[in-house]
Amino acid sequence: MAFFREAARRVFAQELKDSNLTSKDESDQYAPQYLLTPTGAKVNRIFIVGTLIEKEDIGTDSEYWRGRVSDPTGSFLIYAGQYQPEAAQFLAECELPAFVAVIGKTSTYTTDDGNVLTSIRPETIQQVDELTRNLWVLDTAKQTLERIRAIETQEDSNSKLAKEHYSTDTEVYREMVKKALESLKENA
Amino acid sequence: MKQTAESIRDRFMKLGVDVPVEDIESRLDELIKKFKVPSNEAQRSVTNYFLKKYSIPKNEFYVRQAEPQLTKIVNISENGQWANLKAKVVQLWENTHESISQVGLLGDETGIIKFTIWKNAELPPLEQGESYLLRSVVVGEYNDRFQVQVNKNSSIEKLSEPVEVGGGDFTPVAREAELKNIADLTGNQWATVRGKVVQLWENSHESIEQTGLIGDETGVIKFTNWASSELPDMEEGKSYMLKNIVVSEWNGKAQVQLNKSSSIEPLDEDIEVRTSVFTYFGAMVDIQTGSGLIKRCPECKRALVKGACAEHGKVKGEYDLRIKAVLDSGASTQDALINRELTEELAGISLDSAIAMAADALDPGVVLDKLKHELVGRYYTVTGHKLDRYILVESITPRASLDRELLDEMAAELEVE
Repeated sequence: MAFFREAARRVFAQELKDSNLTSKDESDQYAPQYLLTPTGAKVNRIFIVGTLIEKEDIGTDSEYWRGRVSDPTGSFLIYAGQYQPEAAQFLAECELPAFVAVIGKTSTYTTDDGNVLTSIRPETIQQVDELTRNLWVLDTAKQTLERIRAIETQEDSNSKLAKEHYSTDTEVYREMVKKALESLKENA
Repeated sequence: MKQTAESIRDRFMKLGVDVPVEDIESRLDELIKKFKVPSNEAQRSVTNYFLKKYSIPKNEFYVRQAEPQLTKIVNISENGQWANLKAKVVQLWENTHESISQVGLLGDETGIIKFTIWKNAELPPLEQGESYLLRSVVVGEYNDRFQVQVNKNSSIEKLSEPVEVGGGDFTPVAREAELKNIADLTGNQWATVRGKVVQLWENSHESIEQTGLIGDETGVIKFTNWASSELPDMEEGKSYMLKNIVVSEWNGKAQVQLNKSSSIEPLDEDIEVRTSVFTYFGAMVDIQTGSGLIKRCPECKRALVKGACAEHGKVKGEYDLRIKAVLDSGASTQDALINRELTEELAGISLDSAIAMAADALDPGVVLDKLKHELVGRYYTVTGHKLDRYILVESITPRASLDRELLDEMAAELEVE
């Protein structure tokens, strides 16, 4: 099979936070892990643009950076350590707040009481401008709305699975997209 | 039985040996009646007995049998079948393998077929246009087509009378491949196309005369004109008829090759190439290694790896700037090759300043970092021709403003105040 690169999905922070369904082919340890979101995005790689509002080195022996990136609907947590040297270096050096673009892989952690926490392991972080942030909000709004429509018509297997697992209330996510678009209108 | 005995006697008479017919008959009788041997087996056994008795070499006896049973090319129908052919050598091809002595096409009045003479057959070479009797060749099958193999059990005899080849005089031109639209070309066929040379590329190998892209109203395809084709060069922007070219597939993409059997005819018309220019919009999510400040081989323009060219070894490289970018729409990804001019423009950095930056830092990696810093995470629209998995970028534009129409449309659907 030819190598193929996972597309970086566009998901708002609120929706990523609500996600807890992971899938992995157990028979193949190299199979990519996916996170299915409530609107049916099947996420392995993700692309987000937002405002880096917090950063902290939470490492004990070596540097391990946690950053918080906000979008109009909530915030994403990103973690970068020795295996993400470029991203860790960026977090060490950058000044807050800043518009950043992050490309990375989603990862999940299940707490003792059964909650699933989602975060992003960045492959790349770059500082960007406000226009790029707005373009991303519009792009993500468009792709999220498309997924919401697909949930409502149950048109593909990811939509069906998401609806089944989350009993997705699409109104909640329409409200989320609306909030995101309002933030653009304010800027306009 | 009497008859069989008579016929055996006759054949021995031809070799000048008179075998008493009673002897033959009694031996046959014993085998068939007493030992239940099938008649044809008995016949052979008896024959062999007398050959031995009279010290006649077996092959002399059998070769002298009447005209061998001849097979017509059209009747070749079974893999593994043995055949004797009377045929003319229609074409000899370039020999591709050291274990092969000759390969080409044989024809008779019913058809043509590929033949292969193995080196270990130790037979004298055939001449194109001459006719031969080929005995004991083996029919093989390859890619659903029959061919004949001439091996060390075969024999070849030159005929003075030429064999007529089906449909009159056979020449490659008479078998001209069908004219096809470029968009319709698929692997493993012969074709004729008419098209305009859209692009000629830096030649990367001495065995290649020219390589590039040729297009017609339906699409664009990569072509390779091998040096061994001995065909003239084509010019960029000119239109040509390419006859009898081979369509092959590589990595799932069709491409065409010109070889000795192909021909190139310049056309007066200017063929309109369907602008198969491809446009992609997405965020730049990665700039891959091999981007930034690189060195190329002065001979073949390939990017050097650790100062060496894959073709020409250690060379003094020439500096260049380029970007191998990955764009991502959220639904798909697209690899894009961005050349020096566009890279300079896009990143606001000239080749000279990139060289200075690298020298200053003693590390060409700083140029790559700078490109990533300037470009990754931003939205771009790229256009260009597609080649394999890459777009050869001809223009790249950063998205400069929000799509108001899209915003208003979604705002209306969601009743945003």
